[in-house]
Amino acid sequence: MKHLEIRGLFSSYGSTRVLRDVSLDADKGEVVSLIGPSGSGKSTLLRVLIGLTPPTAGEVTIAGEKVDYRNRRSVKAVRDRMSIVFQQYNLFQNMTVLRNVTVAPIKIKKRPRAEAEKNAMSLLKRVGMAEKKDAYPDELSGGQQQRVAIARALATNPDILLLDEVTSALDPERVNEVLDTIRALTSEGITMLIASHEMAFVREVSTRIAMMDEGRIVECGSPSRVFDSPTKERTRDFVSKILKH
Amino acid sequence: MDYTFQFSVVFRELPYLLGGALVTLQIAFITFWCGAFIGVFGAVAKVYGGRISRRVASSYVTLFTNTPALVQIYLLYYALPDAGILLGSMTAVLIGLTLNAGAYLTEILRAGVISVRRSEIDAATALGMSLMQIVVNVMLPHIARTIYAPLSNFFIWLVLGSSMAAIFGVEELTGRAINISTANLRTIETFLVVAVIYVVLTVLASASLALVGRVAFRVRARVF
Repeated sequence: MKHLEIRGLFSSYGSTRVLRDVSLDADKGEVVSLIGPSGSGKSTLLRVLIGLTPPTAGEVTIAGEKVDYRNRRSVKAVRDRMSIVFQQYNLFQNMTVLRNVTVAPIKIKKRPRAEAEKNAMSLLKRVGMAEKKDAYPDELSGGQQQRVAIARALATNPDILLLDEVTSALDPERVNEVLDTIRALTSEGITMLIASHEMAFVREVSTRIAMMDEGRIVECGSPSRVFDSPTKERTRDFVSKILKH
Repeated sequence: MDYTFQFSVVFRELPYLLGGALVTLQIAFITFWCGAFIGVFGAVAKVYGGRISRRVASSYVTLFTNTPALVQIYLLYYALPDAGILLGSMTAVLIGLTLNAGAYLTEILRAGVISVRRSEIDAATALGMSLMQIVVNVMLPHIARTIYAPLSNFFIWLVLGSSMAAIFGVEELTGRAINISTANLRTIETFLVVAVIYVVLTVLASASLALVGRVAFRVRARVF
């Protein structure tokens, strides 16, 4: 049984079809990366999976359970086991670093504060942000905020993690600190879907690569196959363009 | 200048004036909260409302922020009796200032509502927060932070603006000052003392508001 199974997913924004018949699956602990030009549907796919954007058709199955995105309880069950990290970090500006990481465990999972804080501190230590626990997001650099966002996403103990172009908004010299953090996570058995433009990085950490264009998955395969011998013209074109600089 | 200041006749009336200051604060409080009540609906109508409720709210705001509060109260006090509605002076002042405050507070609160970043609501939703949890944990703190300073300023404006009530014979601070000065003919001294009382009122009000803001909303407000 696949851990995550997407079958024939469609999503529209107004009259624009953003996702067209997307099918993709992932085994438990697999790292699948989505590449492709901006506007190809990578972000939308991730947003649909966690219930931020409604699908218009298709089926998503998680650990054998079909998700009904119109049913609040079903969506809640998805969010219980799935977390997302956004391009713009999306931290709660009115909360300290520690509070950003503990708010979901305390308010949603009803964990005792002491336990949630202890867990949050160990997560913050892992992303190298423990000493900033009392800082507010606007006092941190983009890379630091993104590392806190990763800790926040892990605090609910997800077994599926979605990363939506998490380094795209960062200064070039901040990119590596975030990539290092993610690299360390890939060996922990969390199923990951990574939308990214960091080709060298996704090639290194992914078990599979899915190339997206105009809302479709054009090609999907192992990193070496997609990058070194792509079968589709569109993939070859995109990869050659992006690897040139 | 051979004017000899004589404050003792004014100081004798200090308890009377302080009583007036209390009325001033009451007017400011009542109109502030009633205005805020209107403002919440106005702001929600302007941000989330349909075409008609947006129109109504906008017209109300335009009308009341573009005419002097004094003119509004005058109309209430002198025009409504012709329509068979007789208002006491205090009531007219309270209603007039409330309607005026409601219009300004609509705009202030609207700025608060639109200050909430979509991205934070997305993050809260993705974490699994319910609508109520999002409102309490994510939206309200933002709104409070954004509107905090203009809200404080507006409250102080109301404290000072309530002096308009004196024109209609309401015995708040300014009204009582007029009463005293016409009796003791020490207009300068009386109004100097009243000015000091106003300063004390507004400084105390802004200091306590700043303190609340600091503690509750992490606003970087100076207490003094």
